[in-house]
This record gives sequence, C-alpha cells and structure tokens, in this order.
Amino acid sequence: MQLKKPIGASLAAATCGLLGALPAAPAAAQDAKDWDIESSLLYYGEDNDRVKDVSLDVAIRRALDEDRSFSINLTVDSLTGATPNGAVPTNDVQVFTGASGGKGYIVEPGEVPLDPTFLDTRIAASANWQQGLGEASRWNVGVSVSDEYDYFHAGANARFEHDFNLRITTAYLGIAYGQDDIKPVGGAPIGLTPMVALMDNGGGADEEPGDNDGYRDGGTSLSKDVTDLLVGVTQILSRRSLLELSYSYGKSDGYLTEPYKLLSVVDPVTGIPVPGPDGAPFLYLYEKRPDQRTKQSVFAEWRHAFDRDSMAVNFRYMTDDWDVTSETAEVRYRWNINERSYLEPHLRYYTQTAAEFYRTVLFADERLPRFASADYRLADLDAYTVGAKYGHLTDHGEFTVRLEYYQQDSNPSPGSAVGELANHELILPMSAAILQFGYRFKF
Amino acid sequence: MASPCEVLIETGDKDLASRIGLRARDEALRIDRKFSRYRNDSLIQAINTSRGRPRRVDAETARLLDYGAALCKLSEGRFDLTSGVLRQAWSFDEGPIAAHPEKIPTLLERIGWQRVTWQPPMLTLPEGMEIDLGGIGKEYAVDLVADWAALQTDSPVLVNFGGDLRCTGRPPQGGAWRVGIESIDQAGEAARRIELKAGALATSGDAKRHIEIDGVRYGHIFDARTGWPARGAPRSITVAAPTCSQAGSYSTLAMLQGEGAEAFLKTESVQHWILR
Repeated sequence: MQLKKPIGASLAAATCGLLGALPAAPAAAQDAKDWDIESSLLYYGEDNDRVKDVSLDVAIRRALDEDRSFSINLTVDSLTGATPNGAVPTNDVQVFTGASGGKGYIVEPGEVPLDPTFLDTRIAASANWQQGLGEASRWNVGVSVSDEYDYFHAGANARFEHDFNLRITTAYLGIAYGQDDIKPVGGAPIGLTPMVALMDNGGGADEEPGDNDGYRDGGTSLSKDVTDLLVGVTQILSRRSLLELSYSYGKSDGYLTEPYKLLSVVDPVTGIPVPGPDGAPFLYLYEKRPDQRTKQSVFAEWRHAFDRDSMAVNFRYMTDDWDVTSETAEVRYRWNINERSYLEPHLRYYTQTAAEFYRTVLFADERLPRFASADYRLADLDAYTVGAKYGHLTDHGEFTVRLEYYQQDSNPSPGSAVGELANHELILPMSAAILQFGYRFKF
Repeated sequence: MASPCEVLIETGDKDLASRIGLRARDEALRIDRKFSRYRNDSLIQAINTSRGRPRRVDAETARLLDYGAALCKLSEGRFDLTSGVLRQAWSFDEGPIAAHPEKIPTLLERIGWQRVTWQPPMLTLPEGMEIDLGGIGKEYAVDLVADWAALQTDSPVLVNFGGDLRCTGRPPQGGAWRVGIESIDQAGEAARRIELKAGALATSGDAKRHIEIDGVRYGHIFDARTGWPARGAPRSITVAAPTCSQAGSYSTLAMLQGEGAEAFLKTESVQHWILR
C-alpha cells in the first residue's frame, strides 16, 4: 500500500529540526561511469607534397572494478604522398622504378628525388588487461597487431608496477616483444646491388623478378623481431613535484633495411652519377643495413603542479650500436584558463648524430662498404616541434584540439658535396603540420 | 555502531586530518554510548527501564525523539521507535525464521508511538515498552560529524559509518567519491558503483539478514503495525539525499513498502539503487 502523498517536504522539515539546518546543496550522485572512450582524428602533412597521414584512433577502456580494467585500441591510417628515395639531385632528368616495383617516376633536373608512389592504409589494433595485485602492485598485459599492404606486425607486452614507501615511490618493469613480417612488393632487393631501369626496357608490374635484376624471389617474406625492456621509477618529491627516471634496452634482429631506398653512385670529382648497367643512364644501389640493432636510452621527467597550472619537462638520451646517439628535450606547460578550459603549449627539440653507415652518396672509386643507407632519417639531423593543445571540458566529456608545427633539418655526410652536387640541396629540409581533434567521454 | 566507521579526508594538513578523525571517533563513541540499547549505562537503557515513570530527556535526545515521531507519522505507523521488542519473536541467528510467531500479537500490544506520552522534555514510556533509536542514530552521527567537518575545512571529506555516508567540501581529485554498493550475492564485492559529488548515501538491507517463508521474501525491517517485515521487500535499497538522515529514512521507509519500494521512491523523486 502506497503512502498517500510525497513525504519529501515533511522529511526535510523533520531533518532540519534534528540537525539544526540542512546543507544548501542537493545530493549529487550518479552511477559510476565504467566506459571511457577516447577518440581522435589526426592530420599530419609534410610540405612539398610529401607524406600526408589521416589517422583515426579510438580507445575504449572499461573498468570492471577498482582493480581491473581492459582496453581496446583501434587505429586506421591513410598515408599518401612522396618520400625521398635516397638518391641525390643531378643536372639531368632521373628515371626510377617505383616503390611498388611497377610504375616508374621521373625526377626533374636539380630536384631531390621523391618516390611519389607511396600510398598505404594501415590498420592497427591492440588490447590490454590491467589488474591490481594486492594493495601495492599492478600488472598489465597486452597484445597488438597492425597490418599494411607490405608489412604485418604482431606483438605482446607486459608491465609490472610496485609501490613502496607509502606509495611515494613506484618502480616498474616492462617487456615487449614484436615480430614484423615485411613483404616488399616485387620482392626484397639484395642490398648494394644496382637498381634496374625498368622504364627503359618497358618493364612494369609484369616484370619477372628473381633473375639477375637485383631482386630476390618475389614472394619472399622477411621478418624482424624486436625486444624491448624497460625499468623505471617514479618518485614523489613533494606535494607538488614528481620525478620519473627510466632506462630502456631494445634489440632488433632481422631485416632492418628499407627495401625501397636507394643510394646514388657518383663520380668523386664531378659529382655526377656514374652510368648504370644495361645502358641505364645512372647507377643507383639498393641500401643495406646491418641485421641487428641494439638501442639503450635513459629518460627523466619532472612534473610539477603550481597553484593553478602544471608543467612537465623531460629529457631522453639514446645511443645505439649503429652509432646513432640522440637527445630529446621536451617541455609542456598546462595553463588552466578556467575550470573548464586549458591551453597547453608544447616545445620539443631533437638532435641526432648520423648512423655509422649513413652516406648521402657513394663514390664510384671507393670499395663498396658492407652497409650503406642514404635514408635522411639516419643522417645527422635536428628537429623541433612547437605547438599547443587546447582542451575544453563539457558536462559529458573533454574536447581537445592540437596544432603543432614540426621542422627538421638534416646534414649530408661530410664530403658529399663534390662537383655539381655542391650546387644542389642534397637533403630537403622538411616541415610538417599536425592538427588533431580529440573527444573523450565516459558513460 | 557495530560496524566499521571511517573518515576519508583529502588534504595535506596532517593536523586537520587528525582533528577530524578524532572528532569522528569521539562522536561515534559518544552517540553509541548514549543511545545504544545494548549498553546498560546508556540513556536509552535508562528510559527503557523507567517503568512507566515520566523522564526528563536532554535536548539532543528530544530532537531524535521528535525525528522518530515524525518518521512514524510519515510512514503511517510502519516505522516506530518502539518496535524493537519484536526481536523477541524473530531470530536471525537460527536461520531466517520467525522463531516465535505466536508471540507477535502480544508484542504488538507493547508497540506504538501513540501509546507514549511525549511532552518535551518529558517522556513517559508505558511499562514493558522499549525505545530503539538504532534505526536513526547512525545516520544522525554521520550528519553531526559531516556538519562539523564542513565548518572546519573546504577540503574533501567523506564520513562513512558502516556504509551510511556523507561527503562535504569540494569534490575530491578525480571529481567524485566512488562508492560501491555491496553485492547481495557476494559479500565484499561491489554490485554497483556510484560516484558521489555532494550529499549522502544510505543503504538499507543486509544480505545475511533476509527472511524467506514459503518462498516469499521478507525484508529485515519490521512493520510496526503487523509485527512482520514487509512482503516482497528488496534485499538492498540505497538512496541519495542531502543528509544521511534523510537518505537513511528514505531507504528504511522504502524497505517498509515491500513490493512497493520502487514506486514509493519514484513518487518521492529521490535517486535510488535497488537490488532485488
């Protein structure tokens, strides 16, 4: 049997009599939101019609209780544009076979050769499970896969964290293993053998690979595996400051060469590429890298909360057995404009030394080195990123916009600018714009 | 309070934290000592053994009696401060049974606020009757501590006495206090999780103390008019309200509505979570 009328007002009056007064604010309670969805749409565009990437990312996290959660991450990338193929500019037209082994492309005199056939869609997915282990420990395991037309990655990772000193110190240990299968279209070229001028003999997709044209068997699948280890510690320094230090060790084994990258072989005096085999006007060799790489890095980050704002500064030093050493410094400042909005400027500086086998060009009179690559990403280079993120919190979630500018300058290997090469820019400086929209909400 | 009591404070001020913690402990012990019917030295025990003689009560007790009287009226007699004697007919120790249903008619003669003479500050309790403030004392203690804490600090404070709780001050880091409603099937596991930013939550229900007779489930709170628990009551009712006293009263009164618990809370337009 129902009561005759609502009792709310009478109950409030009785409670007021009991306690003297009632709080001004009403109760505010809601079901805990166990689903956390974070989505973003990213545009990355390099200048001079180089790489453009449109990337859509969705991360779904579900808390099962205070201790356990799982997350799934899905990413689709659509990459288009041209990338430097490693060859240097000349005073003549240059003709290359395409990265796809099919269509070739022509490069105008004085231009840095860009391979325009770069086009790919990448799909990546990962899943993670996180669980508490007693009061002070947590572990996390995950798997990941990604697929592109000539590349497949599968990986697994695990991480363990433990709190000490009343949670003032947290130590963590992580391990990740990945296995990648690389299937260069038309087969993987043998390193440091000449590129065959397919354009001249009317070659194309129907060209038979595997003869004496510098290709291995067409369907050959190459692989590499990568193991990473990470140990670190985060230490709360004060109520406002936190320091994180970590060391990582990474080892890659297998096919680490870029199958579509070339090197120009030039006359040591004139700087003009020497003629290639079978009447080809110029000689280009496929690049070749060692089949092992070991990296070590140390990382430090300091985070500090001011009264209203907060900032994070980090530094990373990396060194590997390819003789690349790099340093990265980064700073972020979060300016909390008001309760709902913030602006976070971001500055990053990166510098690296060239890999020991990096060569902008090879000279016709030298002995062929064991390894060589003209990939500008292995050159002596500096880069900086400047940008900002704006975030706005709504009643239902958080909306963010990030805009960044990236500038990269690489230096050719010493002594490369011989003869006519002195008149050309051997490596193009590159700048890129990054625009990202994000929306995160819970339900 | 016969249940774990805790206070959570988000602050860097150690003195403040220990002040509020000590105050909470002192209030919990004081109210327990004063109003427990299980203690020989409690005020309630003195009232219950007054053998029909008028007794003067202090202002705090008077306020609690007024509040209990109001609940009795609002529930149309289902809730009654004098219904505690019914525990002589019911046993929760020997399994969920009405141990002595034959006693109920006699016990009902000793129940009913209308038989009590309450002319503040004088209370006259007829001989054989008992008052039990257990149904409202715990929530009242939570409100007292929370109100006091709110005067001390704007920092986030959560006062939790055995699952009846109230928060004050700013919301904590992360935006809200996360409160679990205990599962009715698995003790210690949360069946639902609630984010509390302001106000109070109180839960009525006890997985271990439900009664089932001939396949019909009864609640653990007795209807003072019949001597029986309400038929078809949910196993757990949690209500959100500005104060813990209000939240506790809503959940108790809803439990006394039995099958009509949901309809009652819907009519009252209060936020609630029911486990059946």
